[in-house]
Amino acid sequence: MTALDAQTDSISITDDDAPAERQGSTPIERPKRATPLQVFREMPIVIKLSTIWLLLVFGGAIYAKIDTVLLNDALPLQNPNLQTNNFNPATGEFGDGEPNESWSSAHWLGTDTIARDTFARIVHGAWVSLIIAMVSAGFGVVVGGFFGSLVGFVRGRTETVTMAAMDVILAFPALILLLAMVSIFEVRSLTVIALVIGFLSIPAYTRVARAGSLAVSQREFVLAARAIGTKPMKILFREVIPNVLPTVLSYAMVAGAFVIVVEGSLSFLGLSVQLPTATWGNMINQARGNLKVNFAQVFWPSMALVLTVLSLNSVGDWLQKRAAHRGSAL
Amino acid sequence: MNKRSLSKLLALLFAFALVAAACGGSSDADGETTDTTAGETETDTDEPIAAGEEAEGDVDTEVEEIEGERSYGGSIAVGLEAEAVGLRPWEDTCSSPCYNMMITVFDKLTDQALDGTYQPYLFETLEANEDFTEWVGVLRSGVTFHNGVELTAQSIADMFPIQQEGAAGAGGLSAANIIDVQATGDLEVTYTLSQSNSALPATLARAPVGMVFEAGAAAADPDGSANEPVGTGPFMIESRDLDNETIVVRNDNYWGVDPEGNQLPFLDQISFRPIPDEGTRLDALLSGTVDVFQTLRQGTIRDGRAARDGGEDIVMVEFQGNNVGGGMFNVLVPPFDDVRVRRGLTQMNSQENVIEALGGTGISLPGTQWFSPDSPWYSEKVAAAWPSFDFEAGSATLQEYIDDPERSDGKAPGESIEVELSCPPDPSLIAAMQVLEQTWTASGVVDVNLTNYDQQTHINYALGAENGFVGEHGAHCWRFSSDSDPASDINPGFAPPTAEIAEAAGIPDVVSPLNFANYFDGEVFGAAVAALQTDDFDERYALYESIMLKIAEDVPIWYSGHTATAFGTNPAVMGLTGWHLPSGDIGIGIPAVEGRWHEVWLSN
Repeated sequence: MTALDAQTDSISITDDDAPAERQGSTPIERPKRATPLQVFREMPIVIKLSTIWLLLVFGGAIYAKIDTVLLNDALPLQNPNLQTNNFNPATGEFGDGEPNESWSSAHWLGTDTIARDTFARIVHGAWVSLIIAMVSAGFGVVVGGFFGSLVGFVRGRTETVTMAAMDVILAFPALILLLAMVSIFEVRSLTVIALVIGFLSIPAYTRVARAGSLAVSQREFVLAARAIGTKPMKILFREVIPNVLPTVLSYAMVAGAFVIVVEGSLSFLGLSVQLPTATWGNMINQARGNLKVNFAQVFWPSMALVLTVLSLNSVGDWLQKRAAHRGSAL
Repeated sequence: MNKRSLSKLLALLFAFALVAAACGGSSDADGETTDTTAGETETDTDEPIAAGEEAEGDVDTEVEEIEGERSYGGSIAVGLEAEAVGLRPWEDTCSSPCYNMMITVFDKLTDQALDGTYQPYLFETLEANEDFTEWVGVLRSGVTFHNGVELTAQSIADMFPIQQEGAAGAGGLSAANIIDVQATGDLEVTYTLSQSNSALPATLARAPVGMVFEAGAAAADPDGSANEPVGTGPFMIESRDLDNETIVVRNDNYWGVDPEGNQLPFLDQISFRPIPDEGTRLDALLSGTVDVFQTLRQGTIRDGRAARDGGEDIVMVEFQGNNVGGGMFNVLVPPFDDVRVRRGLTQMNSQENVIEALGGTGISLPGTQWFSPDSPWYSEKVAAAWPSFDFEAGSATLQEYIDDPERSDGKAPGESIEVELSCPPDPSLIAAMQVLEQTWTASGVVDVNLTNYDQQTHINYALGAENGFVGEHGAHCWRFSSDSDPASDINPGFAPPTAEIAEAAGIPDVVSPLNFANYFDGEVFGAAVAALQTDDFDERYALYESIMLKIAEDVPIWYSGHTATAFGTNPAVMGLTGWHLPSGDIGIGIPAVEGRWHEVWLSN
């Protein structure tokens, strides 16, 4: 084993296969991977609160979806689209609900202009935000992350062409481009909206990944791998991408916050998912005409949006710092 | 904890504190609203209302003589719901905000009295021949335009070719059957019509044909006239900054006087400011930024009333007009070409809930026809005939269509009906369309697709200029009717919508792109034409009643509630309602929240 091999193995903290005896006479103790609980304990209080909020949003969204799709509204969460004062064919009568009702045990956050339960709509609205954030992050991390890592590693004409294409997409004002694309597709399903936003997320991820890849590609262990004749694709997948990924993932949290706001803007303009599907943006839009009568109906979805975006930014920042710290240890 | 973490923690705590504050604060506010709403929903709409009577459960239109010493001077700011693209009556399509500006600059040849009839305004007399194919009007003397040109019969004749070329004027002339305008004396004008039109005075009371402009100035600078129009009105344009402010100042040479002989107008200046957001416009009045604001939204009337009742020093000047909200089915498109579908959906329209969603409970009554109960044209027979809410009957009617092997939408028997319901993206309309969606969907036989397009796209889809005026709409939110003579809306609204239909009906020259529902019925159109051949009210009433009865049978349209409109004003602003015609009679008030500003004054 050459000295270079030893160095490569010792700094590759993600490589679990290296036997201890290969480290020479003074084996380096491998850092143990922290458990989620340990990571949580490590967090400052503000990040802990943010994480708890994100888990609540995530859990609520999943719960609401399971309730609607699998259990036919059997769980104790009201139908988000049920107008409690409208005609009910089952009873043959109009419901006794009230529009713009204040909070009560029946409606924890009150009702909206057409007597729908606001809490149920916020929980169901989280699903849209969640899907949009996850799809855009998925697209960004997989497609943007891969292209960024690739062009940062191989450089040359591939990099020039790819980054030029990304710059072209980035040059369009995102919201205007979104409006145009949503208008072209016309069908405003969650899938279409998520895919459009996901597509538009790719350039930002590509830039982040490329920046990381450029730095990682000049590191000693990558140079060493090249020197011993390792195939470029193997270096890319074994050395570059694993080291770029933490940065891209932590960026995904911050970018997720951004796309949730973008979706909120689209909803506010009436261009997001089909009504009557609840989203935080369309809840705000529909309640704004009633601001003087029922401020709470604008307030609650706004708070859900603000807290989620704030939490994603906080956790994303913290993860970025953590990733940077780990990177500097390489 | 470092500084950054501390600031983030503070931000989160602040956010949570806001949540807690909202929990506490919402209770009182909501409670008040709920109480008010509950009280106002006690409206028994089963009781027949006699035509022309003030109905219970909607806004009270109070047009009456205003007492008090008139005073001269002062200026006011008026918040309008939109900007006017241009102020050329012959060219620029004008809605309520634009009309408020135009009426300060231009006088009309006729105007409407409180009882709905038309009286001469710039004309001193207006008379028709026996079959209403020729009308002769005599102008009042001593009237001059803002640029000093004297008003003569030739001025009106000179307007004609410009109106013929104008986007708005051409339509107005055509709808009124006007084919020639001649000066037959110094002040005598003769209108020649291609067909009878007993409702010509109504046409002469609207902007495209009735507003008098100085043809020389218009011809010399057609584009500039959009911002610097020249009329004979009580005010003259001082400056116009689009999307910000239009200022008009007193016309010292105005011809008009009030019944007491006071020279008009009273105000020195009016500043019109477009404030598109409803809440902001009301807030502008409450903060004193404007002295008057206008609204055509029931929810804003509700908020204005609440502010007034909560102690804010404002006055709500309300008007219940004939305009009625709702929507239309495109009857040339399956499945709406089948009356069973239209009737079934209409029977599943819970009007009270829709009105509540629009914020109109206690402000608007459910519509059953194009005339509000306050109107002399209102018919109890039509109100009784209109298919009111009956979910079971509606479901059964739809089921009949669904089970029909020959159903028009080409689907297999038993399959659900697909309905695209579209409204402009106003929050109250979005709420209203979701009420309809829930009821229709609850039938289990209708799949509803809700869409919102901006106002212009919404209108264009209904107009359908690109597909022979069939339109691209299905079920489409719309407003119907106005306080003008019924002919103004009914005749173009039910004339043949396409060339093919006109040809099939044997009237190839009569095509109306304004028939947005594409509903054509020979009887209805025949009655509409017949109503133009007489000026006898009873005869005309019977004809329009027969039209409304047929509409109730064929339901090409559905209704929500009658549209209430209002000006909210600073209490010092007087005379908005209760203005006078030159005869001394009181005018109609503020239909469609279109003010007449010549008799407005500021009290001490």
